[in-house]
Amino acid sequence: MDILGRRRFLSSAVLGTTATMVTATTIGSVAPEAVADPKLDVEAGAPDPNFVEGRITGIAGGLLIVTGSDRTLNQIHLTKATSVWKLHPTTADAAKVGDGLYARGVRMPDGTLAADAVWLNIVNIQVHITSIGRNVMHLDHHGDRIVGHVVTGTTAAVYNNTPAVSDLSLLEVGRHAQVIGAWRPDTNEVDVATVYSAA
Amino acid sequence: MAIVEWFASTQQAVVGGVLLWASWFKLVHRNASANARRSVLARIVGTERVGAAYRAVGVVEALLGLMLLAPPVLAVEAYAAAALSVGMLGYLAYGKRKAPDSSCGCLGEKHAPVRVRGFLRAGLLLVLSVFAATATEWWPVNSPFATVGLVIVELALVVALSPELDRRWLLPLRRWRVRRSHPLATHAVAVPVESTVRQLWTSAAYRSVVEQLSSDLLDHWDEGEWRLLTYAARTPSGQATAVFAVPRLAYEPDRVRVALVPEEKGVLV
Repeated sequence: MDILGRRRFLSSAVLGTTATMVTATTIGSVAPEAVADPKLDVEAGAPDPNFVEGRITGIAGGLLIVTGSDRTLNQIHLTKATSVWKLHPTTADAAKVGDGLYARGVRMPDGTLAADAVWLNIVNIQVHITSIGRNVMHLDHHGDRIVGHVVTGTTAAVYNNTPAVSDLSLLEVGRHAQVIGAWRPDTNEVDVATVYSAA
Repeated sequence: MAIVEWFASTQQAVVGGVLLWASWFKLVHRNASANARRSVLARIVGTERVGAAYRAVGVVEALLGLMLLAPPVLAVEAYAAAALSVGMLGYLAYGKRKAPDSSCGCLGEKHAPVRVRGFLRAGLLLVLSVFAATATEWWPVNSPFATVGLVIVELALVVALSPELDRRWLLPLRRWRVRRSHPLATHAVAVPVESTVRQLWTSAAYRSVVEQLSSDLLDHWDEGEWRLLTYAARTPSGQATAVFAVPRLAYEPDRVRVALVPEEKGVLV
């Protein structure tokens, strides 16, 4: 089924019903394994086995080879059920060699990670806005300059914790802001996903 | 050449003024000791001695500045200022190499790591000091307006090369420009996905299945007044896709709908 057909199918699945809540029994029995499933089985101080960070150093047949910041090598499987974020939700083929990566998933017996969710090049930075131009914001991050690119249709602003809007005209030069964005590898530039600021 | 002499004779006042200004931040400013600790100087002499060293630099700058401003024109004063500028360039080079995160600690209390502008400023003072060494009179008397204008232009140049002072003139200027016409105000108004996701999080429909969601947002599209969001889910009966329909143009989390569609192998992948 192509992507549009699948979307149509899923739309009718949710909009054809009037259910606003799914109880566990409508989707199957509540198996004891599911209830007993230990979500946090990591010892304090030990690395989380179900999490990987690093940069993609190779891609081989649907397998991402990732070198961590401590030089550990990880292999990550992506499936159709894996969410891939790279500035916006996208698909596995957006992953490129050189991209920074955070992945969460399930560790397989062979040591690879079957990823549930992958975030590519995601950054979360506290900045001051030093200047605003057309489609660009210049940011100061503890004395380091960062260029924040505004992506029309994607970049959103959250003012004073109110719902996100696409209107960026309340951003002010000199203000403190928090920026979630996608880093452009090996540059000081980010594409801005969400900017949090006071207004 | 009269004009060169006129230019040279003006430089004593400019260099002296800048040195006095620099010393003021080191000797009188209430945050002087904090500035000292953040400066490159702290890396050179150590944090215990940096306060004394910072003040010593301030005293040297103040003495030299006053000597340059005071009447007798002595070339040695200007050479001393040139030597100070050379030392400044060395200090900046050391800071750039060994302590790139430390502040210059030069002309203001604002944290300003060593950058190109710092080097240009020290270089400018060096050139002006060398000019001052060739001065013949204390203060040019024949064209007072031109002299004052020159001093203002040169001081403005020093200010422009001082990142510590940006928030006093550059940020207000940019703020004013952005207030007049905001460069980012032209974009079309649309509801960002981020906003829909936030609405989804507050809904009862989301809370009823959140324990079973395994992925972050997989896909999203619009269907009339609805925005549809999909997530992968791990249910007791196997893999599924959670589909949420969220009101796109209104904030009504109570209306959010959800369906869990079982993943049939080979059909829905």
